[in-house]
Amino acid sequence: MESIELPAERERYEPGSEADFERLYRNTYRRILGTLITLVRDRATAEDCTQETYERAYRNWRGWRPDAPVEAWLHRIAINVAISDRRHQQLRSAGEMIRRLGRPAAGPDPSLIAENSDLVQALKKLPTKQAAALVLRHYHGYTNREIAAALGVPEQTVASRLGAARKQLQAVLGR
Amino acid sequence: MSDLERELEQELHRVLDPITALPIPARRQPEARRAARALLGGAGAALTVKVLTGVAVAAAAVTVAGAATTGSLNPADWGQQVTQQVADCKAQLADGQHGIGACVSSFASQHGSAAASAARQHGNGNGNGNAHAKDKNKAHPATPKSGSVPRGLDSEPADQAATHRTVTSTSHP
Repeated sequence: MESIELPAERERYEPGSEADFERLYRNTYRRILGTLITLVRDRATAEDCTQETYERAYRNWRGWRPDAPVEAWLHRIAINVAISDRRHQQLRSAGEMIRRLGRPAAGPDPSLIAENSDLVQALKKLPTKQAAALVLRHYHGYTNREIAAALGVPEQTVASRLGAARKQLQAVLGR
Repeated sequence: MSDLERELEQELHRVLDPITALPIPARRQPEARRAARALLGGAGAALTVKVLTGVAVAAAAVTVAGAATTGSLNPADWGQQVTQQVADCKAQLADGQHGIGACVSSFASQHGSAAASAARQHGNGNGNGNAHAKDKNKAHPATPKSGSVPRGLDSEPADQAATHRTVTSTSHP
């Protein structure tokens, strides 16, 4: 499959640069949020996980190597955040609820479409890394190599994981 | 591309595109999050809440006891009452008579009873404090344990005038 140049990869970033990290945030926020919405239970959690992703990325920003695909790096962090969130879903602290208080209302909520989508609900039932592989491939258009970089696994593992994910998705959807 | 893959792509775009088109919020600052976590999360927060609750309950108990005894919420009034009582006791002494201990002690024991009663009443709203306060008052009289004399039998008044005879014990051969 032909490699697709990701939007964030067209930009050049300098590790450790505050301004560049802010630019990276602006350029990639929506795509990271889009992935996380399919992996965690609701939009509010996805937004929290997205912010957590950028906090973790910021802490390691000085150590990021410009030769590594930056969006795959961010996705790798985001998927780890999602896995961690699924583990601790029941222990989510009241602190996060309090933090959300005072945020402006989002108006007509397009996330209801996501929450009512059978496919999105089915994705949430898959193991996080399988669901992430499907979203990276079929929503973001990543190649297997880029997915491998994002998940931190060999390309062959990605191929088998995608196959297993499709099979399991069909089973969940009853097709 | 299979039907499933095609459907997957279409559905993901249909569902996710409207969400990802929303305005991008400001990036959360790590410092603010750490402060919120320290304040609101973990065992430290639970301990802080408990300590603050304990302090508040103790302060309320002291205030209620003081108010019940003196009719005032100002602790300075309690001290004034004791000072006044000492003066009264001195005034009640006859010429040549010494010692106001019993007189002041009587006032102090009244004060103690009133404070304990007020604390018990306050303790009714607090499960733990209530039971202990009642038990303490009933089961542990003011007499020292070593004497082991029941309170009801201890009706002999204090010998203020020192009229009692000294008892001397002699050893029998």
